Amino acid sequence: MDDGYATATRFEPIGVEATQAPPGAGIDADKDLGWFRRLLPVVRQHRRPLILGLTAGAIALSIQVAAPATARAAIDAAEARDSDGLWRWVFVLLGLGVGRFLTSMTYRYSLFQVAWGVETDLRALLYRHLTRLPFSYFDRTQSGEVISRANSDIRSIQVLLAFGPLVSMSVLAFVFAFIVMLTIHVPLTFVALSTLPGVYVFGQKLRNNVFPLTWVGQARQAELATIVDENVNGTRVVKSFAAEERQVNLLGKAADHLRWANVEAIKQRAHWNPLIEALPRIGMAATLLYGGILAIDGEVSIGTLFAFNAYVLMLQAPFRMFGFLLLQAQRANAAATRVYAVLDEPITIDDAPDAVDLASPEGRIEFRDVTFAYPHAATSDRNGSGNDREAVLQGLNLTVEPGETVAIVGRTGSGKSTIARLLARFYELDSGEILIDGHRIESLTVASLRHHIGLVFDEPFLFSSSVRDNIAYGRPHAPIDAVIEAATAAQAHDFITELDAQYDTVVGERGYTLSGGQRQRIAIARTLLERPPILVLDDATSAIDVTVEARIHDALHHLLEDRTTILIAHRLSTIALADRVLLLEDGQIVASGTHSELLESEPRYVQILSEADAPDATAAPQPGRPT
Amino acid sequence: MSFGPPVGFGGANSSSAARAAGLPHAGVPGHLQDAVDAVLDREPDHPDPEIEFSHLHPNEPPFTLRSFLWPHRWRLLGALGLVILESAAAQAGPLLTQIGIDDGIVAGNRGVLVTVAMLYLLFIAISAINSRIRLRYTGTLGEDLTRALRVRVFSHLQRQSLDFYTDEKAGVLMTRMTSDIEALSQLFQEGLVSFAVQALTLAVITIVLLFMDLWLGAVTLLLVVPITLILSNWFRKRSDASYGLVRDRIAAVLSDLSESLAGIRIIAAHNRRRHNTVHHTNVVGDHKDANLAAIRAASIYTPGTEAIALAAQAAVLIIGGRRVINGDLEIGELTAFLLYLTAFFAPIQTLTQLYNGYQSGQAAVAKLRELLEAEPSVPEQPGAAPLPQIDGAIELRDVTFGYDPETPVLSGVSLSLEAGESIAVVGPTGAGKSTIAKLITRFYDPQLGQVLIDGHDLSTVTIESLRRQLGVVPQEPFLFAGTVRDNVAFARPDATDVEVWEALAATGIDDLVSALPQSIDTPVHERGSSLSAGERQLLALARAFLARPRVLVLDEATSNLDLQSEARVEQALDALLEGRTAIIIAHRLATAMKADRIAVVDGGAIVELGSHDELVAQGGYYANMYATWVGHSTA
Repeated sequence: MDDGYATATRFEPIGVEATQAPPGAGIDADKDLGWFRRLLPVVRQHRRPLILGLTAGAIALSIQVAAPATARAAIDAAEARDSDGLWRWVFVLLGLGVGRFLTSMTYRYSLFQVAWGVETDLRALLYRHLTRLPFSYFDRTQSGEVISRANSDIRSIQVLLAFGPLVSMSVLAFVFAFIVMLTIHVPLTFVALSTLPGVYVFGQKLRNNVFPLTWVGQARQAELATIVDENVNGTRVVKSFAAEERQVNLLGKAADHLRWANVEAIKQRAHWNPLIEALPRIGMAATLLYGGILAIDGEVSIGTLFAFNAYVLMLQAPFRMFGFLLLQAQRANAAATRVYAVLDEPITIDDAPDAVDLASPEGRIEFRDVTFAYPHAATSDRNGSGNDREAVLQGLNLTVEPGETVAIVGRTGSGKSTIARLLARFYELDSGEILIDGHRIESLTVASLRHHIGLVFDEPFLFSSSVRDNIAYGRPHAPIDAVIEAATAAQAHDFITELDAQYDTVVGERGYTLSGGQRQRIAIARTLLERPPILVLDDATSAIDVTVEARIHDALHHLLEDRTTILIAHRLSTIALADRVLLLEDGQIVASGTHSELLESEPRYVQILSEADAPDATAAPQPGRPT
Repeated sequence: MSFGPPVGFGGANSSSAARAAGLPHAGVPGHLQDAVDAVLDREPDHPDPEIEFSHLHPNEPPFTLRSFLWPHRWRLLGALGLVILESAAAQAGPLLTQIGIDDGIVAGNRGVLVTVAMLYLLFIAISAINSRIRLRYTGTLGEDLTRALRVRVFSHLQRQSLDFYTDEKAGVLMTRMTSDIEALSQLFQEGLVSFAVQALTLAVITIVLLFMDLWLGAVTLLLVVPITLILSNWFRKRSDASYGLVRDRIAAVLSDLSESLAGIRIIAAHNRRRHNTVHHTNVVGDHKDANLAAIRAASIYTPGTEAIALAAQAAVLIIGGRRVINGDLEIGELTAFLLYLTAFFAPIQTLTQLYNGYQSGQAAVAKLRELLEAEPSVPEQPGAAPLPQIDGAIELRDVTFGYDPETPVLSGVSLSLEAGESIAVVGPTGAGKSTIAKLITRFYDPQLGQVLIDGHDLSTVTIESLRRQLGVVPQEPFLFAGTVRDNVAFARPDATDVEVWEALAATGIDDLVSALPQSIDTPVHERGSSLSAGERQLLALARAFLARPRVLVLDEATSNLDLQSEARVEQALDALLEGRTAIIIAHRLATAMKADRIAVVDGGAIVELGSHDELVAQGGYYANMYATWVGHSTA
């Protein structure tokens, strides 16, 4: 069933060429395993560079340990006036140089290849999973949170994968070097390395002191960014109320707070870093003193002093990095937990095993005793606001015949938009069933269902690509003629041709270079292009001029003739299009009939309409006002 | 989550702001919370900054690294002195080792060895203390410079006119204020000084090498330096290019992801899941390729310099070793030579890295200079006088204006309002309705003609004194992160709670606000998305009400509202308009009918002007509009 989402299907076309390989495997589904065990299937996809990198790394580090010992031998040969020995060891050293270059290059690149490969796979896996999650997930999750999962958390895992093997191997190198040193002189080894544990201890102290300050600094940086963001986006309000000086001072205060946190962190670094730098040097001074005395006594050679100096310098690195590695491992663990929480989020709305495609439906819609509450109170949907699990629809029954145009009218919060969302199976019902041409929507494949339902939301979201790509969003292969035809019907063609690059004009971030009404018209065109047999317009013309709206309605009238259409509206001009009006109140249909029938027979309908923009007595100009 | 003393609006909301900013590791993990609290406990109260702001461009030299650092030259010179001492002290080790070997070990003199070791320790101590002072000194200086730069750039942004803030620019301005300034901050704090440290270290070692043994030193440097320079230069160019690409690609990954999340419902509704998954896989794969290209260069460079170091060691050993064998060179000198050689390579690698930082710092300087040179398009006149307390009589006198002067939006428009009168401006989209509002608030200056309030030409008065007496409610009701109270009292932060409640009551949302969990202290989140569009609009009206303006400008304040909110807004309007001069740019007729007079704008001119009844009787554009609307309403 899972093809990695990489191949097109009948109802889900793919309009781009896949230039990068999709991830070869997902994370282990067993949630009881440790985070790294769960990641193994993904890591295993990159085993060839991993094995190569580890092998080359082991050789490179052995060479690193061997080099000072070789130089020592050469120095001792020079001291012993042994010319042949000198040449021999110098050639060995040159050979080690060449070997070092090749192996070091190989292991660095290979290990980064693994780390980046895993990062890239995780990003692709996360995205793929996100596109399949139900709307209820997005209702309760802030997008900033998901972005930070995809960005900093996956990055934390990557950093560990890149540096973990490196640092682990340099710890191994430490063991080698330690053994080499011990074979030369045991007490001198301990004297030379005596200060190195301090590098680790002070490093930990530095981290412990700087870390909270870094967090505070980051949070304050974000605060500062928020102030800038608000002053850029809300500049009109700032200027309107002449609040510039106050905003400058607000920013100044935020900058002072940030400065304090940063300076405190600097003080900590200034305290600990010089100590950490000094420790290996103290080891070298001690080596000179104690090693020198030993050399006078003839116990060690002068070459040994050089080699020990080099080892102290070489070995401080693992002590420094080890603390970093521990920290990174903690971070990666926490990060992986958060990333997996998204990947483990169940795909509740998916094709049933025996699901069939919905094929050219006539468009008969039936809601049978539908009860539904939004899974979480904190939903972005206006209709869903309210208490926890408060039912929005309660035993709703409704039938729309093929080709019929029905308007659903109701107060804010009555559940109008919810009907549209349930029809396209964006949420699971609590009870009851929804049928299209007599098929329960759960028995149909999700893609085929949504293919046949054209849904235009009240909020016309556009992507930052060309107008053409936006209109052809659901049919990426659509020819330009079809795009123009849809745009013309949505009364968008005229203003599009006045744009700089017509249909190739790139609309700015989320389409905000266009007016609200223009965005709505493109959103309508986007849906019309798919020629769906079932069309649902959820307050889709609210920001459009009355005169333009009238023209769209004429075009729709033409287009809607053989389609089943549901109009969710509060404007009378929109309602007027419908064959039949349904009045929704408290999650149930309380009245049904033509507009004029309801006007006559249903006081609640009249009441709701009078709250709208009807020019009745309450909204007329008041003669009593002074002129 | 508590994050210490609230910073203005940001305080209560910092964690969500951090999330929104996409900062790494935003949100304090549990085990750090105590440490974070401890840090915040010892934070002193910062005095209010008391920064003065003027719309007039201050007289500053063009922004360059030099002009910006020049006032701090003495502090920087002091830092340089510390750096010289530090570099010199740090390089004493090998020299002392040489003395220890030749005069101590070879000569069999333990006293020299002990003295040398003590001196060694002394130099280590000097170096460490020096380094501590230097780090604090330059770090604090860097932070001071950064803070000053933040305030300077932000003040400059505030001075710009409305047309400066286009949608496309929002992201750019954000980058200037955050990452560009941070790039410079890095340069101030670490870059410049480290550069000096490393360069000096390199110089010291070079001199010592030549001083110790001219011939050996010269041969070694000739062998090492050219090839290292070539390799470093190659690496710098490669990594410049690759990291530029990496930055572009990560930006593409993030924008694709965030846009997908924002449009997730559209993706589902239009069956784009497969298409978008393939697309995102491509985007993240391209990002990986760019990173691996950068890593490939680094994987050659670092091992390359290591190999050169080993080769140089071999060369020194064979040349020096043979001279030791011949008795021309002391064994201690050879050892010291090798030790210095080891120390020679670290600064070269560091300098190469620093060069990248220096380049991005310079790039940031260039970008900031360009920004700081922008002049406001609606400048305050140097001798502008404050506008006295106004009654609110407004006059547009023969006004011609176009955002692009070639294509005027308004041509020769005249319109006058008595103090206390309200006028609604209606007309087709793009006819210039909102432009009239923007001219009265002096967001733009007309190309021809004048805009006057109480007979004062707006271009002759100070911007602040004008806008303080106006109240504007725009179409998109922008709310700041902060509480309901902060937002309503935006124009007058010193307003009492009673006044805030008064304003809320006048706009009819006092019941709604008192039902919120923390009443007026309830935070509103990310651009007010926890409130409905209507509720936000009502708060914006309350904000204007509390400002007690003489002149009220409603710029399509009632479009995009749902039924109930619209009804409330209509009622609130009555309270707002009472006794004020008001310009109501309307696209709903129900709103327009609230005004004393209605002006129909079409094709850049006022084509009809009169009361609702008069215009309906005239049978022109307005009567037509009204008929369409009524017709649809009762169809």
